[in-house]
This record gives sequence, structure tokens and C-alpha cells, in this order.
Amino acid sequence: MTVKDADATSTGSDEAPTAEPTFDRRGFMVLGAGGLLAAVLQSARPAAAQSAQRRGTLVIALDISDATGLDPVRVYQYSNPLPTHAAYDGMVTFDPGDSVNLKPALATEWAYQPDGKTVRLKLRTDVKFASGKPMTAEDVRFSFTRQLNIKDQPWQYISHIEEVKVVDPHTVDIVLKDPKLPLMTIIATPAFGVLEKEAVIAHGGTDAPDAKEKDKATEWLNENSAGTGPYRLTGWQRNQQIQMVKNPNYWKGTPGYERVLIRHMSESAAQLLAIQRGDVDVAFNLIPEQIATLKGDPNISIAGMTSLDFIYMAVVEAPTNPALQNKLARQAIGYAIDYDGIIKNLIGGNAVRPVSFLPVGVNGSTEELTKEIGFREDLAKSRQLLAQAGMPDGFKFALSYGNAAIAGVGYQNLAQKLQSDLARVGIKAELTPMDQVNMRTMYLGGKLEAALTFWNPPAPENWLWSSATINRVAGRVHWKVPDDVRKLVADAGAERDLAKGAALYKQYQQAMVDAAHHFVLIQPIYQVAVRKNVSGLKLTAAGWMAELGGAKPA
Amino acid sequence: MIRYVVSRLVVSVAMVLLATLVIFLIANTVPGDPVLTALGDMAASDPAQVAEFRARWGLDLPLWHQYWLFLERLAHGDLGVSISSRRPVLQDIIDYAPATLELATVAFILSVLVGLPLGVLAAVRRDTVIDHVARAVSLIGVSAPTFWLAFIALAVFYGQLNWAPGPGRLDAVSFPPDRITGLLLIDTALQGDWETFHDAAAHLVLPSIVLAAATLGLITRTTRAAMLEALSQDYVRVAKAKGLRGRLIVVGHALPNAMLPVVTLGGLAYANLLAGAVMTETVFSWPGLGRYTFRSAVTVDFPAIMAVTAIVAAIFVLVNFLVDMSYALLDPRVVKK
Repeated sequence: MTVKDADATSTGSDEAPTAEPTFDRRGFMVLGAGGLLAAVLQSARPAAAQSAQRRGTLVIALDISDATGLDPVRVYQYSNPLPTHAAYDGMVTFDPGDSVNLKPALATEWAYQPDGKTVRLKLRTDVKFASGKPMTAEDVRFSFTRQLNIKDQPWQYISHIEEVKVVDPHTVDIVLKDPKLPLMTIIATPAFGVLEKEAVIAHGGTDAPDAKEKDKATEWLNENSAGTGPYRLTGWQRNQQIQMVKNPNYWKGTPGYERVLIRHMSESAAQLLAIQRGDVDVAFNLIPEQIATLKGDPNISIAGMTSLDFIYMAVVEAPTNPALQNKLARQAIGYAIDYDGIIKNLIGGNAVRPVSFLPVGVNGSTEELTKEIGFREDLAKSRQLLAQAGMPDGFKFALSYGNAAIAGVGYQNLAQKLQSDLARVGIKAELTPMDQVNMRTMYLGGKLEAALTFWNPPAPENWLWSSATINRVAGRVHWKVPDDVRKLVADAGAERDLAKGAALYKQYQQAMVDAAHHFVLIQPIYQVAVRKNVSGLKLTAAGWMAELGGAKPA
Repeated sequence: MIRYVVSRLVVSVAMVLLATLVIFLIANTVPGDPVLTALGDMAASDPAQVAEFRARWGLDLPLWHQYWLFLERLAHGDLGVSISSRRPVLQDIIDYAPATLELATVAFILSVLVGLPLGVLAAVRRDTVIDHVARAVSLIGVSAPTFWLAFIALAVFYGQLNWAPGPGRLDAVSFPPDRITGLLLIDTALQGDWETFHDAAAHLVLPSIVLAAATLGLITRTTRAAMLEALSQDYVRVAKAKGLRGRLIVVGHALPNAMLPVVTLGGLAYANLLAGAVMTETVFSWPGLGRYTFRSAVTVDFPAIMAVTAIVAAIFVLVNFLVDMSYALLDPRVVKK
């Protein structure tokens, strides 16, 4: 390929290349001095976007650089649940906008049996895989058993399953080792989708006890799917795109698009241009400033989705800093932060704030509760707490953060805002920016005094947050968790009644505020740009971003 | 001549090994822990899972042992398995390298085709409009940050004017050709799929121009300087005195003598394009080696980092070697020394 080719080329059009330009000295001159643009000029683009093929294709711009696999048993990153959920259904699901009440999916009903440790699930009888084969209890048993034996990351959330048994072709029993731990909310996530046993085995898969070594189906499942979902995976070019085609046997009716393409675009600016031009229909990774420029575009609508992710400041009872070992001093930090200002100025108001480590939207966490029992900006109270702690002039601590941004909020900006907020009561935050991986290494090792970091849940299950805070997260902030808090978390996790659970989680959140190690600052409302030629695309906070099954051309 | 080749070759291999050692030490000095990027929050906090992970990837071995294993594998042509993609690194590189190779080669050809004549003309027509234009072009090319240039190019020619296609190697609805070489232009041409060929070529225009900009500037400046030097030599005066035509003097006498520094620079510039396309690849969503390298670095993916280092070092060394060899052809005196 030489300049010649570029010079005479047009995008995807049928027209033949124009006469080959000659490259005498004059030709070089034309190219050299401003003629570079002429080369581009001639590659005028045809109206590819108008073609019928394009209309039948839903094109999504998304940063998929984190994805390492599309085999459900290994899906635990941020971006790969979206295609996985489109290809596979699980037993149960969450409707968009409701992260509390489970809804039926492949299972129509489920109930704990009198023994207290068995969950019996009744399966739909009308579901076929994309291959056309009917879905049965044996496929469900196989999928769970394979997961339990492969023991990749999602497994750890269901490692309390003893076994999964076929009762009859449309009934399965899930038997738990520890019935106090939650199950149903967790298996709603895409990692626990049901795979077609026959197809997986045909490609080297197994559910045998030695599946960790013997299962070879992942390679095939990274580029193909064997599920019941609205779309079937047909290819994945890493860091390039994920291709799906519609599943004609989809049990909820024929999907709206022939094809779905998830195009990797790591730069939000490129996503912005692509959606403005109509080359993509949905852009997931735009930052607030870019969203603002789209507000007046008649072809684009902005969909907001309150995520279950949040940015928080962890304050550690660091051995190096006696002030931080004082609970009153840490509480003083909590009352010196201008929470509303952070949300208003750093993320354009597109965020909510939970009380503590349970995001708004899950059972027992609402914005009203934050006003009732959460930290609030109260400088007088902060100064009073400092005085009680014996530090009326404040204290110093090192605030570390990575060189990254979440939802368009740079940690650097957030840290500077906190620094100036805390300075009002005499608390000096010394900013220590560092590489993101190094930051995380040091934070997880409990070696920092305070850190700005981010939490996103594997499933909308309260216990996953609460148990983390009293175990591994507690270790990072050197918190010796009192026994009554431990009991509270265990009780709340075991409670199967939503209302009683909510009451217990309120107590838990109060305990977290009192301990004052975690200051949740921003729970972003993600802004997703969708072209108006797409209808029915519902965004979800449950972990898989969107329900592609409902989307169709407008 | 053979002695010259052999001595260059030995030095080259030593250079590659040295480069891998340096990167190995640097990568192991940073506090970032690959366990934390590869395992989720829960697994990374479970000592048993962390220990298993370290054992599986050989991270529990002493450093010298890890490096020795790397060399041993390298000697067998095995680049190891990437921690983050969980595939053989060689497979990853085979997947990503063609995109970069295609982009860098087009950019290089572009910068030579434009830069060389521009530099020659600027020298021949010194202090005329052409010279000023050449100097402006090379100054902008060398000094404009690639990242900025890439955004401006994309925003203007794709976003505003819609003259060029958007990010990526192909349009969304184009079907990629069956993979033969991974180079889209070649694969589509071999399969006679001219529609996709056009698409791929059009997608190359903006990123290759952006990538070529800096190289073009360097080549223009170096050519100009070398030509000015050559044109002031006695043999040029003699040639003029003999009544040779201007064009013959420039092309036949001055240019060959001015080529030595240009070839050196060109070789390094090409190696640079291959190794340094990260920014362009990022902005243009180009699934190339630059992005892969960047990703490997931020996820502390030791096997990938080491493999890419070895390959990049090998490319540089190979290019240098070829440049050295071409000296021998361009200037026989080099060998005699």
C-alpha cells in the first residue's frame, strides 16, 4: 500500500479506483504542501450508514479492553457481562431500574425447601437454545456443575453450593452447604447463564471434578455462544469488536436486530464523534462534558442510569498516623466534606450518594436514608469532634489516589476538592498521586493512610458489600470489627424477608458511619448516548449495562 | 565483509538480551502487583487463591530464576502465556501485530515519499518558498504532539467534514476478510474483495498521516541538511564546471552521498513507528501492538511485557543491523575501516 492507494480510495464504495496518479516531482509537491489533505478529500465516504445492512445492525461503542473472556464461567470484568447477558439467560434476573426484586427468567418459580438448605427451581418448558435444542434441567445442572468445578473467579460467589440436582426435566434443586449465605440474587448475573450441555461438550467442555484442568471449551466459548439469549456470539476480535447475530429461537420473541456489534473504542472522544456521525448507535463511555455537547443534537437522546458503582475515600487507622486511629478525628473528616458541591461541580449533578457502603437502589439504601443517618456537611460539628478528639487545630494525613478517572471524574480533581474542603476545619490532606496499579497494591496491602478508590459490585446482593466491609475491606483500613457488627452482617445476609433485611441493613449502615472509615462521595448516574433510530434499549444497573434483547430499530 | 556482518550480529543479540534484562528489572521494581489486576477484589484478598495464582505464573520463584525461565522459553521460541489475556503471548502478538505493521508501514512509506523529495527540494531551492514550506511542515510534524494531532485530524476530517472514515480498521458493517496475513490490504487484495480493500485503505488515511507527521518532519530536515552539505562539496562544483545538468547533479551526485544519515534516520524512524504508535492507536481505536503493550504495562502482565520488549528490541536491533549493512553497500569505505 502506498499513498497512491489511499489517494484513490473511497470507503466501502463500489466505484473503481480513479486513474493512478503519477509520482513525478510535482506530484510529491502536491502531496507535500497541503496535498495530504487532498488525499483524504478524494476518499469521500459513501452513505454506508443508510444501507439496509447498517439499519439491521445495532452498533455499540464500548471500551472492552478489560475483557479477558466470554465464557460465562470466567466473566467477571466490567464490559464483558453485556455480551454475555445478551447470549445467555440465567435462572432469574433483575428488571432495569429495580435492583431489589428478583424476576423470573429461565426459572418460573423458586422456593427454599423445608430442609432449609435446598432451593427448588421450576424451569420454563418453552425455551430453546440458539441451536434449536430445548433447554432442560440437565443443561442447568451441567452449567452450574461446570462452574463449580472450573473454579474461576465467579465461582467464589457460589462456592457455598453443595450440588445441583435434576429432579425432573424441568425442575432442579440447588443444595447449599451454608444456607445462611445468599444465592438467588447472585445467580442473576451473567456469569451464571445456562449453557447448552451438548454444544459445550462437543467443543471440549466438561463438568467433571477435574474440569479446572480438563475443560477446553473456553477457547470456543470466547468466540461462540451456546445460550438461550436474544443474540448469539459469532466472533470476538480482541480490542476490536464483538459480533453477535440474532437468535431466531429466542423464547421472548424475535429480537429487533439482525446483528449486534460491540466496537471497541477506548477513547471517549472517538465515541463522541462516532455517535454524532451515526457510525455507532450507542456510546457508553462519554464523559459529562461530552454528554453536554450532545444535549441539543436532534438525533441523539441521553439515557441516565443510576449505577451501583461508587467512588469513596477510605481512611485507614494507619500505624504511621495516630490522629487517624482516633474515631472522632475520622468522623470530623466526614462532617467537613462538601458532598453536594462535589456532585454538583465535579459530575454535573449526575450522581447520588448513599449512606455508606451500600449503593442507593439496593434493598435498604435510599437517598432519603442518607439525609437521615449519613454524613452531611456540618463544619461546626466537625470542629467540635476535633476538639473532643484533642486536636482542635486539626491534623495531617496523606491522601493517595491513582492517575485515573471514573465516570469522567478525575481522582486528582476530587482530591483537590477534598483537600480544600478539609482545610476549612484545619485538617490537612497531603495529596499523593500515584500510578493506579501501585495505588491499589499499596491500598490492598493496608499501607496507605487514605485512598480515593472505586467499588463496583459483581451482583446486586447487599451481602457482597457488607461482608466485604467487615472482612477484606476492614483489613485495608485496619478496622477491628466489633462482634455486634459481625453478627449484624451475618443476620442481614441470612434474612430472606426484604423488609426485615432492609431494617437490619439500616443498622449496619449506621455502624459504618459511626466507624468512619469509608466516605462514599459519588455514585454516578451513567449517561449513555443513544441515537434516536434505536428504541427499547433499557439500561440496567444490575451489572450487564443494558438489555439488548428489547432493542429494535425505531 | 563477513567479519563485519558477524560482529554486528553478535552485538545485536547481546543488545536484545540486555534490553530484556533491563525491562525485567524495571518491571519487577515497581510496586504494582499483577495479582491485583488479574484477580478480582475478592480473590485478590484470599491468601490461598493468591498463592495458587503466584505458583501458577511462577511469580513465587526468585527473580533470577524467573528471568532464567524467560530466557529458556525464549530460546525455544516460547514467549509464555499472558496473565491478563490468558492466551499464549505469541498468539496475542500475532493477532495485534499486523494492524500496527500495516499502519506503520503505510505511515513510513508516506513519510519517505513526501519527506525525501521535500527535503531535497528545500535544499536545492534554498531560502525560497519551497524551503520555507518544507521547514514549516517539518517543524509542525516534529513538534505537534501525536495525541493532539490525532484528535484534531479525527474531529475535523471525520467529525466535521466527513471526508474520512471514523476510528477502527473497517466500517462497522464491513466484514473482515478471512485472515491470511492479518494485513487487511493484502488479505482483501488476495481474496479479490475490493470493497473491503477500499474500506481498509480509507481507514488508514488519517491515522497513517498522523503517525507519519513526526517521521516526515525528521526525514525532511535530515535530508535537507545532508543535501546542503553534499551540494557544497567540491565534486558538485566539479560536476557543475563540467557542465552537467542541475537535475543530474542533484540526483546522480549529491543525493547518494546525502543518503547515509537519511537511511540511518529512516531505519530508526520505521522501528519507532512500529513500537511507538500507542497514541495514534488509542485515538483511532486501532487494535495494534501499541495498545497491547500499554495494556500489558498497566496490568503488570509480566510475560506480555517481556515478550513485547524482546520483540521491540529485536526490531530495533534488526533495523540497525540492516542499516549498518546498507552502509556497506552505500559506502564501501565502511567495511574497509
